[in-house]
Amino acid sequence: MGGQPREDGHPVQGVAGRLTGGVPFREALARASLLVPLCVVYALLLVWPLALLARTSLEGGLAAYGDVVRTPLFRPVMVNTLVISAVTTAIAVVLGYLCAAAIWRAPAGLRPLAVALVLLPFWTAVLVKNFAWAALLQDNGVFNTLLRKLGAPGHPALLHNRFAVIVGMVHYVLPYAVLPIFATMSSLDARLERAAASLGASRAAAIWFVIVPLTLPGVYAATLLVFIICTGFFITPVILGGPRDMMAANLVDLYARQLVDFRAASALAVMIIVGVSLLVSVYQWLPKEGQFGRL
Amino acid sequence: MGVFDEALAASLRRPPRAAGRRWWPFSPAGTLLFAACVPIFVFLMLPTLVVVPMAFTPKPLLEFPPSGISLRPFRDLFHDSAWMSAGAVSLKAACLAVAIATVVSTMAAMALHSAKFAGKGLLQSVILVPIVAPLIVLALADYEFLLRFHLTGTWTGIGLSHSVLAAPYVFITVQASLAGLDPALVRSARSLGAGSLSVFRHVYVPVLRPGLAAGMLLAFIASFDETVIALFQQGPQATTLPVKMFTDIQYELSPKIAAVAALLVGVATLVFSVQAAALVGRRSARWGGRPAAGSPE
Repeated sequence: MGGQPREDGHPVQGVAGRLTGGVPFREALARASLLVPLCVVYALLLVWPLALLARTSLEGGLAAYGDVVRTPLFRPVMVNTLVISAVTTAIAVVLGYLCAAAIWRAPAGLRPLAVALVLLPFWTAVLVKNFAWAALLQDNGVFNTLLRKLGAPGHPALLHNRFAVIVGMVHYVLPYAVLPIFATMSSLDARLERAAASLGASRAAAIWFVIVPLTLPGVYAATLLVFIICTGFFITPVILGGPRDMMAANLVDLYARQLVDFRAASALAVMIIVGVSLLVSVYQWLPKEGQFGRL
Repeated sequence: MGVFDEALAASLRRPPRAAGRRWWPFSPAGTLLFAACVPIFVFLMLPTLVVVPMAFTPKPLLEFPPSGISLRPFRDLFHDSAWMSAGAVSLKAACLAVAIATVVSTMAAMALHSAKFAGKGLLQSVILVPIVAPLIVLALADYEFLLRFHLTGTWTGIGLSHSVLAAPYVFITVQASLAGLDPALVRSARSLGAGSLSVFRHVYVPVLRPGLAAGMLLAFIASFDETVIALFQQGPQATTLPVKMFTDIQYELSPKIAAVAALLVGVATLVFSVQAAALVGRRSARWGGRPAAGSPE
């Protein structure tokens, strides 16, 4: 059986042709050799370190895992991680949906500006944002000064608590929520709404029964992406949070850099990888564009 | 990443309904939506709007709004050897990371260009893994790894660790720009007697240039802004700018940090402009021509 015919009309015969998609074997080999540097770098700087991490965590069997799970810090830290991530995700997706809709509906002249307002913070370094929020929220910071000028009695503690962490995190992840939702919206057929109207739907009904369901794939993707990003936060809880806002990444840091217990730190890191991989694999199950029939 | 370029591209397309010729182009519901979004956009821009003015304060303490305009924080910053050496470490590490990432990712993207084989999709998602991998895990793994080679506490170690982090960005942008290259062109060049090097120079390089520039910039930012890996590997000779910011912010919020932050906002603005310019350029290059495969237009 011949392989796929090439554009010049000579089919490459046999197994080699089938493996290389119709490209002559020597050319395929030359091309594959271009992959070698990347494979070497990834093997050396990604696979090896991660393998080392897994091995460290398994020194002395599963003891390190048991120790980590049994420490009194483990439960509150995991609960913190899940609660803070869930609250942040919920707020970010709602705000992100509104932003995406506004960008989608904005007149042509305003659209690039609106996207710029989302992308500029996206490219700004985490520490710049954290510094700004700390300066805004600290006791003699911008907000409290403003409140005092407006004559508010006393000054509420805005920094080093869960409120500040969630404000900082929502700000960080908001672009990650806006962009997938906006991408889904802008791929919608503009005639859908007119079709709904011609079938007698009011504008509100067209939006609620046609547009919103069709944007749900983007909402699911944004929710998952934002939640995954949230669970990995490290800098923001340290700078904006208090001692009771420790998250999973901070616990790894505590074990590794303060307690110098690399077995425990590695065990915790392996648990984080497994958790994140599970979340990423959920992505496969999400309805994608083109699977609208179910809705 | 792909989704962001897509969003930016979509924002440049015409909106679904042309705005009417009324004096106020929005429906009541639209007006409500925009009104609701104004505070959200202000929230998004707030840190930038606050940081930049604070960097120009004439006082030795942080204040907002500033009582005047001066370059004093910047002068203090440039005379502070600790901050300057942190900047140098960051630059050196980022350059190493960009160099490695650019070479390996460009070659890989060329290898996969128009190739069809089982497992290509899997390979591509493996290349993108560093983008989604939790930084704390990479930080710990890289630390344990580099400890064996006595490379912790050096900018080389930080650069090496960052190279894997930066590689996917170059890969994505280079792959996107290669999508417009017809593989038949490479074959014709070869059949006309061009060697590998001259095929690369005359066929690939002109196509690659915009994607390569954008990818290298993204890779640079990925390394330059990275904090967690650099924090684990910090030493007296290897404290990067973000790590110094991280430790200093916990100690005191000073105008010097505001000055660094303002400079980083400048970098972010530059990156965003380059991204937008590249996209607008790609659009106009396609203008009148056949849109590349997979193009939404």
